[in-house]
Amino acid sequence: MEKVIGIDLGTTNSCVAIVENGVPTVIPNRGGYKTTPSMVAVTEAGKRLVGHIAKRQAITNAENTVYAAKRLIGRKWDSPQVKNAIATSSYRIVRGPHADVRIVLRDKEYSVSEVSAMVLQEMKLIAEDYLGKSVGKAVVTVPAYFNDNQRQATKDAGEIAGLDVIRIINEPTAAALSYGFGKNVERTIAVYDFGGGTFDISILEIGSSGVFKVIATAGDTFLGGEDVDARIIDWLVQGFKDEHSIDLRQDRMALQRLKDAAEKAKCELSSVRETEVNLPFIISSGRNEALHLQRSIDRETLDDLSSDLVERTIDICRQTLSDARLRKEDVAEVLLVGGMTRMPKIQLTVAEFFEREPCKGVHPDESVALGAAIQGSALVDDKQEMVLLDVTPHALGIMTQGGNFEELIPQNTTVPTQRAKIFTTSRDNQTAVKIVVMQGESERAQDNELLGEFILTGLKRATKGSVEIEVTFEINADGIVSVHAKDLETGKEQSIEVTASSGLTREEITNMMEGARDYMVERRSTEEFEAARQEAERVSAEIERLFPQVEQIVASSDFGRDAIEKARGIVAKTRAAISRRDAAAVKAELDGLARTHRMFKGVVAKTH
Amino acid sequence: MTDERQKKRAASRERQGASKNDRPTESPPFDLQALARATAFSRPPHDDPPRTGASCVGNQTPDASTRGKPEGVREAPPSSIAELEGGSGGPRSSMARDREITLTDEVELERARVASALGREAPRMPATTSVLTMANAAARGASEGPAASSPVGKLTQADVKTGVLGAVHGSGAPEITQRVIDDPAAEMHERFSLGDYTGALELAELILADDAKNLEAAECSENCRTVLENMYSARLGPAGGVPIVVVPNAHMRWLSMDHRAGFVLSLIDGKSTLDTILDLSGMPRLDALHILHDLVQQKVVAVK
Repeated sequence: MEKVIGIDLGTTNSCVAIVENGVPTVIPNRGGYKTTPSMVAVTEAGKRLVGHIAKRQAITNAENTVYAAKRLIGRKWDSPQVKNAIATSSYRIVRGPHADVRIVLRDKEYSVSEVSAMVLQEMKLIAEDYLGKSVGKAVVTVPAYFNDNQRQATKDAGEIAGLDVIRIINEPTAAALSYGFGKNVERTIAVYDFGGGTFDISILEIGSSGVFKVIATAGDTFLGGEDVDARIIDWLVQGFKDEHSIDLRQDRMALQRLKDAAEKAKCELSSVRETEVNLPFIISSGRNEALHLQRSIDRETLDDLSSDLVERTIDICRQTLSDARLRKEDVAEVLLVGGMTRMPKIQLTVAEFFEREPCKGVHPDESVALGAAIQGSALVDDKQEMVLLDVTPHALGIMTQGGNFEELIPQNTTVPTQRAKIFTTSRDNQTAVKIVVMQGESERAQDNELLGEFILTGLKRATKGSVEIEVTFEINADGIVSVHAKDLETGKEQSIEVTASSGLTREEITNMMEGARDYMVERRSTEEFEAARQEAERVSAEIERLFPQVEQIVASSDFGRDAIEKARGIVAKTRAAISRRDAAAVKAELDGLARTHRMFKGVVAKTH
Repeated sequence: MTDERQKKRAASRERQGASKNDRPTESPPFDLQALARATAFSRPPHDDPPRTGASCVGNQTPDASTRGKPEGVREAPPSSIAELEGGSGGPRSSMARDREITLTDEVELERARVASALGREAPRMPATTSVLTMANAAARGASEGPAASSPVGKLTQADVKTGVLGAVHGSGAPEITQRVIDDPAAEMHERFSLGDYTGALELAELILADDAKNLEAAECSENCRTVLENMYSARLGPAGGVPIVVVPNAHMRWLSMDHRAGFVLSLIDGKSTLDTILDLSGMPRLDALHILHDLVQQKVVAVK
């Protein structure tokens, strides 16, 4: 059976999992970490960095490091979220050719899907290294509030990365899947997801036969663990300023170290009551001497620094429950997802709000990826019966007179679905009507997302309000929205099929896929060369270390002198191949080097 | 130490048939404090790359032409023992005397002793040998294998090497001398041809700061960078090598380094390769290599 990987493509961190022998498992990356920062950077030398390595230079190379690309994916250039990102991001964001968003790294423009594809490609590689074979299919998670364009852009990212994204599922649904895996539970649960960059609260209903339904979802895309880090950094910077009158923010290297130390301290304070931030040589003073930063921080201080942020999450929870017309008692279980939920203060606050202890049965960093892997496995395994009901993430409707929005399919309606409504003309002798299809929750049309528009013509001339037009919305199982408009008197009809778009053309996607493939070929070949070079250099150094001993042993006779010359020749050829970066030639010398090394070791061992 | 005492000492040496190349076995026959000061003066601030700028080039002996300079032109301090000895025969400039200070710092005195020890070998080098060239020669010698026994009683080879490199790379001493360079391009080429790539690079960058389109300087800068990068890379070993911090954490804060070195040091986690650290540093490659090289030289870091 083909392996399907589950990928949690997070705003700040990503995670990949598979189901092995019926057990969902998270795959660690090469560094042994189970999550990989969703960061991409390009160095001065043009080298691409993804993951931890990109994160470690994120401040010193801020203009060329992309973080939180997920906030931009599938968004239109003129959306408020993009404007917000332009104002707050250190990297350059420019308008794309299709009113989409592009990111500039070292003077090259990348689409947001392309950047996300680099992260997905890294996750694919992690899985391939672990499995020892190529991986083709994936289930990728997205926030429950993502609209169709954002979902499509995520799918495009997968395609660019060389993955066939067989399903996009909601993150809270994936977490609930992970929670409900192997259990037969029917209950309403809340998923409190406080990650590195975003906060989401979702209320789900787990029905019989493993049916999961998102009842309500809300969140804040600019609220996460990074805000808590920022508070710790502020505290450290202010303390240092008070002591030395130096603002550490002015130095990028100092700021990079502060960011790393703040995150580390925050994580440590989840398990210990006090920790120390020790950053020697953080900055040089005007007198050309380096100053050190050494300060203790305790849990109470961290709680004070972050209390308003935690309170904001609770306000969102309160509003979401209210919108869903649910009481706290209706929620049978609260799942904590996201690294920030390890913070004791958050666990306590959530417990106080929901008036129950949160469930500790799911892993905060891994549950979403595990849920995606479970869904992936179910999709390719006919024996599994789990059914996931997809819901519409946002309400669908049309624009009506006065710029109002008329909802036809409410938010969170399970798909497939079909709804119809009758409208009338708004002017006398109106012979055509424009149907503007939109997605969103606002009563004002301009605040919602435009999905498409079409015109129904040939209406009978009549006074306003007397011509009736039936508008039907239909969403099939693949999430494709069809809108029909029919003049009930004449029977004339017109329709549109709304296909979500990431803002990329097919040709662009194809070119990006080729670029990604070329990158992979180059990367594999570099890795191959590096592996061969390291081995060759190790053995060459061993041989060189043995030269004096072997020379001494054979000095008394002519026997073996030619072997020494040959050995020198092999080492010289190897070094020349390494300097030419000729992987094939280096590999070709490995056998000879190994034989020589064995022979030298044998000679030395026999003599001693 | 007075000139008279120096003359007597020189006469005594001549009577004993000692050559100038002999290593000293007692206090050096020149003004130790002046030498220490000269060595210290030739050190740029720690933030800057090693340089053999006008202040530390030893290719000019103080003769009549360098005396009585117009106002505003400061005299270069003596940078080699040969130069000091040459000057011992005549009166030293009053300007140099004016700058004299009393050395009470043991470290500076030790540096002076180290410099004097190596300075004895100066005549074997080309007449234009700079302090950097001497330092590089010492460093190369050290890296090629065990060197001859320490020329100074209690000092080890490592002390000597550190001392000489410290004289070039160290920080703390103010740079107070400048020599007016009439033709920076010619000077740049001369330094490059003498193997003083750091000095040549510095001049090339000065020229480029005035005239960014100067192809000659751009080419020289590029070449110097390549040579220096190769030199530091060769000394650090393969790019796949993993640096590790060998100084205990508790001792770290007592080391002498600037915040840039501190930052590079913070990137060393025992897993990341040299190549990775160069990528992470966000600094120009040459600067990062230079810092890593210095950390290895100072035995703060070792490469596995």
